[in-house]
Amino acid sequence: MIFAIGASQSPPPKPKKPPVAKVGKTGSEFFASSCAPCHGVNGKGGAGFPKPLVGTRTVSELSKFISKTMPPGAVKTPPAQAQKIAEFMHEQFYSPLAQERNRPARVTLSRLTVRQFRNAVADLVGDSKPVVPGPAGGLKGEYFKGRDMNGGSRALERTDAGVNFNFDATGPVPGKVDAHNYTIRWQGSIFAPDTGDYELIVQTDQATRIYFNGVEKPLIDAWVKSGSDTDFRAHAVLLAGRAYPIQLEFSKATQGVNDDATRKKTPPTPAFVRLMWKRPKGPVEPIPAQYLFPASNGPSYVVASPFPADDRSIGYERGNNVTKPWDDATTTAALELADHFAARVRAEVGTATVPPAKVEELKANCRKFLERAFRRPLTKEIDQTFIEKQFRVSPNLETAVKRVVLLTLKSPRFLYREVGGPQDPYTTASELSFGLWDSIPDAELTRAAASGELSTRAGIQRQAERMANDPRSWTKLRDFLMLWLKVDEIPDIVKSQKRYPGFDDATVNDLRTSLDLFLLSTAGGKNASFREMMLSDQQFLNGRLSKLYGGNLPPDAPFQAVKSPDRAGVLTQPYLMARHAYLEGSSPIHRGVLIARNMLGRVLAPPPEAFTPLPASLHPTLTTRARVAMQTKPAMCDSCHSLINPLGFTLERYDAIGRIRNAENGKPIDASGSYLARNGANVKFTGAADMAKFLADSDETHAAFTEKLFQHLTKQPIRAYGAKTLPNLQASFKKDQYNIRSLMVSIMMASLPAAQKSPQP
Amino acid sequence: MNDSSRREFLRNLGIGAAALPFLTGLPSLALAESLAKPKQRLVIIFSPDGIVPNTFWPDAVGSNFVLKESLKPLEPFKDRTLILKGVCDRVKGDGDGHMRGIGCLLTGTELFPGNVQGGSDTPAGWSSGISIDQELKNYLQKSLLTRTRFGSLEFGVMVPEHADTWTRMVYAGPNKPVAPLDDPYQMFGKLYGQMKDQDILRSVLDDLRGDLAKVKGSIAKADRQLLEEHLDLVRGMENEIQASRKQDVGHKVPALEPGVRRDNDNMPKISKLQLDLMVSAFLADSARVATLQYTNSVGQARFTWLGIGEGQHDLSHEPDSNKAAQDKLTKINHWYCEQVAYLAKRLSETKEPDGSGTLLDNTTIIWTNELGQGNTHTLDDIPFVLVGGGLGFKMGRSLRYDRVPHNRLLMALAHGFGHRVTSFGNRDFCGAGILSNLS
Repeated sequence: MIFAIGASQSPPPKPKKPPVAKVGKTGSEFFASSCAPCHGVNGKGGAGFPKPLVGTRTVSELSKFISKTMPPGAVKTPPAQAQKIAEFMHEQFYSPLAQERNRPARVTLSRLTVRQFRNAVADLVGDSKPVVPGPAGGLKGEYFKGRDMNGGSRALERTDAGVNFNFDATGPVPGKVDAHNYTIRWQGSIFAPDTGDYELIVQTDQATRIYFNGVEKPLIDAWVKSGSDTDFRAHAVLLAGRAYPIQLEFSKATQGVNDDATRKKTPPTPAFVRLMWKRPKGPVEPIPAQYLFPASNGPSYVVASPFPADDRSIGYERGNNVTKPWDDATTTAALELADHFAARVRAEVGTATVPPAKVEELKANCRKFLERAFRRPLTKEIDQTFIEKQFRVSPNLETAVKRVVLLTLKSPRFLYREVGGPQDPYTTASELSFGLWDSIPDAELTRAAASGELSTRAGIQRQAERMANDPRSWTKLRDFLMLWLKVDEIPDIVKSQKRYPGFDDATVNDLRTSLDLFLLSTAGGKNASFREMMLSDQQFLNGRLSKLYGGNLPPDAPFQAVKSPDRAGVLTQPYLMARHAYLEGSSPIHRGVLIARNMLGRVLAPPPEAFTPLPASLHPTLTTRARVAMQTKPAMCDSCHSLINPLGFTLERYDAIGRIRNAENGKPIDASGSYLARNGANVKFTGAADMAKFLADSDETHAAFTEKLFQHLTKQPIRAYGAKTLPNLQASFKKDQYNIRSLMVSIMMASLPAAQKSPQP
Repeated sequence: MNDSSRREFLRNLGIGAAALPFLTGLPSLALAESLAKPKQRLVIIFSPDGIVPNTFWPDAVGSNFVLKESLKPLEPFKDRTLILKGVCDRVKGDGDGHMRGIGCLLTGTELFPGNVQGGSDTPAGWSSGISIDQELKNYLQKSLLTRTRFGSLEFGVMVPEHADTWTRMVYAGPNKPVAPLDDPYQMFGKLYGQMKDQDILRSVLDDLRGDLAKVKGSIAKADRQLLEEHLDLVRGMENEIQASRKQDVGHKVPALEPGVRRDNDNMPKISKLQLDLMVSAFLADSARVATLQYTNSVGQARFTWLGIGEGQHDLSHEPDSNKAAQDKLTKINHWYCEQVAYLAKRLSETKEPDGSGTLLDNTTIIWTNELGQGNTHTLDDIPFVLVGGGLGFKMGRSLRYDRVPHNRLLMALAHGFGHRVTSFGNRDFCGAGILSNLS
């Protein structure tokens, strides 16, 4: 439903034709002949009456008014005719609703979306390097003799694909490390694919602790081994698309007084250690290698306070309203950050009186913070209000810093998109970074703004291209693709255990990873190819998925690309097929709606009344296709379902978990379908591959994809940028061989006033 | 301030202001309290490494006794003091004497086996049970009449940074050690951070409104509505803060001496700051239970301000024959006793807000230690010195018991609060019921 209303924006609504009257003239015709000469076309105002015809009368009030007063002179309009005119006017331009509909789209003031707020705060504070999850990552493991972790006692260093070890009585490095007494440290970073609450879990029968995200205090501290607990857990809210530094320590040694001599009297015991996580809505699993990096990233500051969700009523997240829960959440976040900085001040300068030079240094840091938050150099006035004054009224430095942080994060200059200054290169920089990264400009972009590079179209283009190739752009594009495929809010996918034994939470989680890897290798690949994404015959399987989906992989195989004649692009990926299906059966309607709305940008009204799908058990001999056709046969259904069903039917070879099938209830699968294109052509499909090919090549798909991506990046309606913007972007998408990264750059260029105005190269 | 208290902060600003848990003296709570019995509080103060018996224990039993050198500072409160000799930590199991000494002191039960190896015995982990202060906190928090904002506060003075069996006395449950807060500024933030933040927030609202108005003036007319709505929200927040402050009939935020660094030689200053904060917290009724842990079991503080250069633990190993060392240890315990006496003094000078006497009338302080004596590592004759009222014990006495398990004292504390447990910690030590002859 996400795009339900958004889709209705494209193409721009044409005035509906009034019902054709069987006899006589229509309201439109009456208006044109009798009213327009004075009131102008569509009542916009004319020679005789310049004011536009707008108001709040109801149709019947308006009708009475017309028959009583119009036209001037003795002969008035007959009531039946007035009624027709009133109906026409009301619907087309008179009523407040019609006025709203006819209002030209414009670029409106927006606040940061929640995603943008969180990212901006994270980038204001932390120094996390952007990364993209790789197919084969891991953590750096260092193996030490004894209890101390220093160079002298290090026996081995290597990259481990994960931490999932059962050490036997010979220990982890036989011969080099005494199995009674050793310590291991794993270091690196963990990548969060989705935003949400993660649980980190260490399972071990020995001492362990985890340092996480640059916090001095361990997130998990079981360094004192006590009793028989072997499962240690902690929660952390993580933002998607970032890698967080982690250090896991494990020790088989004792603490306190050295008891080596005593311990060596008995044979060494085995030991185990596993690093697991529970992703949002996921099962507990060993952290997969593709989400681990052996390099330690800088920490990210995560705003932990919950925010109300952003408005998505027109198909994309946008910051079009301010509400009390939102305002409260920003206050909480600002106070959290104020505390964070106050603690730093306390640690660095203490609470006693400090020398003036230190105060100046603190002010200078506040200025840098403010400049980055406001995305532009500070004016004297801002400097006075936001810094000098706050330090003046509060001699206590901790309090002064808190005041600066509070004022900054609550200021419209931070909270809103580009309100703090003139249209200048800094505005351009900010538009670029929020457009491509959902965050504030990085140092390089700020430098380009300051140096004047962003004053030329070529300079803007150069930066946009650099940024489009940065991992942060992938994070934003991935957000978009997940939304486009209706899997952005991690769905709960549950299937009948009777029908699909072995399809459990772990499978669903693997399938999501599989889709992620597919998108990364196509849309996120070297050519960022839209066509590849729509057509690729790849699927990503690991050993566990291979059992259900073929591919003949050994049970413990890591994820790898497997070519399959059964897959035809992203739509046929098992995760999507399982998502758009029922507990036991497929759902041609859900699948058809996804294609019609999200891929083709068609407008579909919701069903005139609520329907429950016919249970399969009522018609045990029918195929799903036949049952769906039967239920949607009535004329009131058919107007939409004649579009939906033949699209959805093409995916009938995929069952409710996205596995291939050739028969249902003993009857062969009929996966043929069709689509009546906007240009009038009736396109026939023999199955999914045909349909995918059509979508990959169709102007309709390209237009819908371009428009939705435009809105996802800019948070503004594309219509606000002129009627030519969409066709122009579509043309450049084609020219760039459907490279999505290039399309992102083109969108930024088309949306930036500076890129329009400045001289073409 | 942690996340949850941060969230609490804003909830408190809203309509919920009437239910602000940190504001006492609200009509509804006052009414409830008038129906209840007087407040009861418990403070447990820990100092390490045992005492010097012959300068500590009074010779006489009963109410006619003389306070010796170690306990001299309690002279002004002698008639409100109760000294228990012969109460022993009988818990055995894993861990050396110091580990069991602190880990079983308030829990009365064994340590789990683990990986912390002491100077003798087998390695151990954390305690396998809850400590009495947390048990009582949970008991008090269960009832609306005795519930407070924090329930309990865990203070520390110079507690080492590392978490192990020697540095933890308080347990929220088996394997759940609670770290004491030994930074008075952090404790201050916990107690008064919300009020401070409200002040700061309120004080920047003018500038914020000015900024919003300025930005509003600089943007297209069609977009101003959004900022107008935003301004309304800022005004709303201002009103809420004002309303919540009007109801704040609570207590003055104490002024803290700034810039006291965490440093061995600053121990007396830190101690005073923490004791003052504890009194303020009681006055505001933020908690009814508090613990205060000086250093740790095996504590090595150097009492330079008493002219003692050696670490306390090293000294405590010296034999009885080393007169100089015993004198120093006596001085050290005298100093700890001064801290107890200072707290008693502050409590005795502070009136209960409801007029029911002084805070000391309703507060029992217990000063204790992980060992009976340092150089023998005995867990017999653990010092338990009680000062103050509230639990219904008959004070002004020196009592002698015959090797009774300290579990029975822990049970007696619970009973003092009306929490009639039939055992606490290891049941084998609880058979004879609460410690006799206390009331």
